[in-house]
Amino acid sequence: MYKILTFLTLCFNLPCMAQSELPAVKIKELSGKEVAFNTLLANGDTATVISFWATWCLPCITELETINDDLPGLKKATPFKILAISVDDARTTPKVRSFAAGKGWDFDFYTDANGDLKRALNINDIPYVMIIKKGIIVYQHTGYVPGNEEELYDKLKSL
Amino acid sequence: MKKIYGVLLLTCFCRLAYAQLPDVGGHLSGSFESYTQFYQPDKKINAVLPQDRVGSNNYLKLDYNIGAFSAGLQYEAYLPSIAGYPYDIKKSKLINRYFKYAPKNFSIQVGDFYDQFGSGLIFRAYENRQIGINNAVEGVHIAVKPFPFLNLKALYGNQRKVFERANSIVRGIDGEIDFSKIGSFLNGSTRLSGGFSFVSRNQEYTGPDPEINATVNAISGRLGISGSTASLDVEYVQKGSDPSVSNNNDKTTGKALLINGTYAKSNFGANLTLRSIENLDFRGERGETGTSVPVNFIPALTRQHDYLTTNIYVYAAQAFAETGGQLDFFFTIKGDEGKPSRIAINVAHYRGLNDNDDLFSPGKQTYYNDANIDWRKTWSKTFSTNLSYYNIFYNKSVVEGGLHDNVKANIVVLSALYKYAKRKSIRYEIQNLFTKQDDGNWFASVLELGFAPKYSVYLSDLYNYGVTKIHYPNLGGSYTNGGSRFSLSYGRQRAGLFCVGGICRYVPAATGITATLTTTFSK
Repeated sequence: MYKILTFLTLCFNLPCMAQSELPAVKIKELSGKEVAFNTLLANGDTATVISFWATWCLPCITELETINDDLPGLKKATPFKILAISVDDARTTPKVRSFAAGKGWDFDFYTDANGDLKRALNINDIPYVMIIKKGIIVYQHTGYVPGNEEELYDKLKSL
Repeated sequence: MKKIYGVLLLTCFCRLAYAQLPDVGGHLSGSFESYTQFYQPDKKINAVLPQDRVGSNNYLKLDYNIGAFSAGLQYEAYLPSIAGYPYDIKKSKLINRYFKYAPKNFSIQVGDFYDQFGSGLIFRAYENRQIGINNAVEGVHIAVKPFPFLNLKALYGNQRKVFERANSIVRGIDGEIDFSKIGSFLNGSTRLSGGFSFVSRNQEYTGPDPEINATVNAISGRLGISGSTASLDVEYVQKGSDPSVSNNNDKTTGKALLINGTYAKSNFGANLTLRSIENLDFRGERGETGTSVPVNFIPALTRQHDYLTTNIYVYAAQAFAETGGQLDFFFTIKGDEGKPSRIAINVAHYRGLNDNDDLFSPGKQTYYNDANIDWRKTWSKTFSTNLSYYNIFYNKSVVEGGLHDNVKANIVVLSALYKYAKRKSIRYEIQNLFTKQDDGNWFASVLELGFAPKYSVYLSDLYNYGVTKIHYPNLGGSYTNGGSRFSLSYGRQRAGLFCVGGICRYVPAATGITATLTTTFSK
């Protein structure tokens, strides 16, 4: 057990590395039109927040609802762009558009129905949030515990 | 146990190695996922006690891309596989690898690849580790976009079958045309598209039956129109005769029709899905069933449930004959500033076919009904609740096999979340399932404490007070740091269907400790 703990400490304490080139994997707009992921990222000093979520994932919904309700104040302080990328598969992909509209969320929505982008970025579980600025992943977090958004907001403000 | 240390060491080595790499450009990323269970005897639930008393599924994946080139691999170690995993294996192997070259408007991939044609009703290669599906195709995959309005794909290869390969070849082509890019007959926000797929599986047949062919072909067509507030998608699949174990050697052809309509405007969304299937189970090998070597993807088109009691009676699609659909409404009532109510309503109904050759002939037997409503209310910045009600009809004989009474159940779930500090929260959930059939009533409660962004702990109990009087308690916690998460729990696991994404497998009862580790790393 001691050895396991040592390994885990090593693993967890390594910093997240910067990425110099993000994959041009195709995802879809809600109309079904394909678009390359790396072309959706904001240019210049504007950060892009990316949230991987699904219509069946309760923590994802809680997180997106919280962020959405905080958006007006947040965007005043720091300009940024949010991409909400659904990893719903064919079972629930058709619901993404009506679900998002019904929630009244103010994000840019995309679908990754066969997990191509999720796989390319090596994301295991959702919710998974990352901030990308100037092509570099400057923040990432897996899972959601209420209050996680505070860390995300602090990071956005510090950029 | 030594092997588990070994895999952990390998992962940490990879992370450390990344940190030392010079910056040569490109994007290097990887992930590691470990799911380990230590079992203990528990006669009360007839828990399975594997010989090693331990099960551990581990996945290490690495991907690198620079410009138009990318390559990757996946190493898997089952030391041995966890109880209830569809394959009882004790083996480690470097199993998936690929090399891809994708300049603009063209890509070629050799090695293992995943893909999906249309909604996957004709072809889907994907990975679902929890369910135990990885039907990646090893071969060649080519995609080309000769004109802005046309996407073409072709693939050829062998499906993955656990650590081996299916003894068959899968070939496929898919074309999709975006009509709205051809002319200006549609207004700006309207998109009209159509697609065509052909998939063929060839498995040698040396038996005596002249009506069994080595090659089984399937074709599909799809059409979609999407406007500023609504969309409509239709897909039809036709498959040749394919007598197999999964369809009881039925020699008729198979087909399916899928229709989806969506309406979406500000704060309101509606969705209607209709699907009829007949004899459409399509596999890489005639003798396989369950989660083994599927060529296509036939999920249950019902609401995917999230709670302990709502996951007791879960529907699984009946690929041999089924017709039905579901209707969803999602809307937000804004109410006072910062206090919205968000409502979701879902109604689903599935039944058999009267005439297995006619997709439009609903049968007399109901397979599944589900009517549910979900009310999420934000009361203040710090307090929110979620109240749900479900009314379910579950044809247990059809879904699970055997002879059982049909189950009619009502379920109520109430969940409340209170943030008592900016990063500290407490969540409590109570649930009750009422039924007079099967094992009778169930009660469940969950208490969860969150200390964002790193820690959370929970205590839950699922209790059958109807018949068996058995408690299924669990105590667990997790630690998260960036893209890494470690969780540990101790408790009982209920025997039953375990479903993810509408695909199910049976899991046995078990008691013990579960440890999971997931990490994502990149440079």
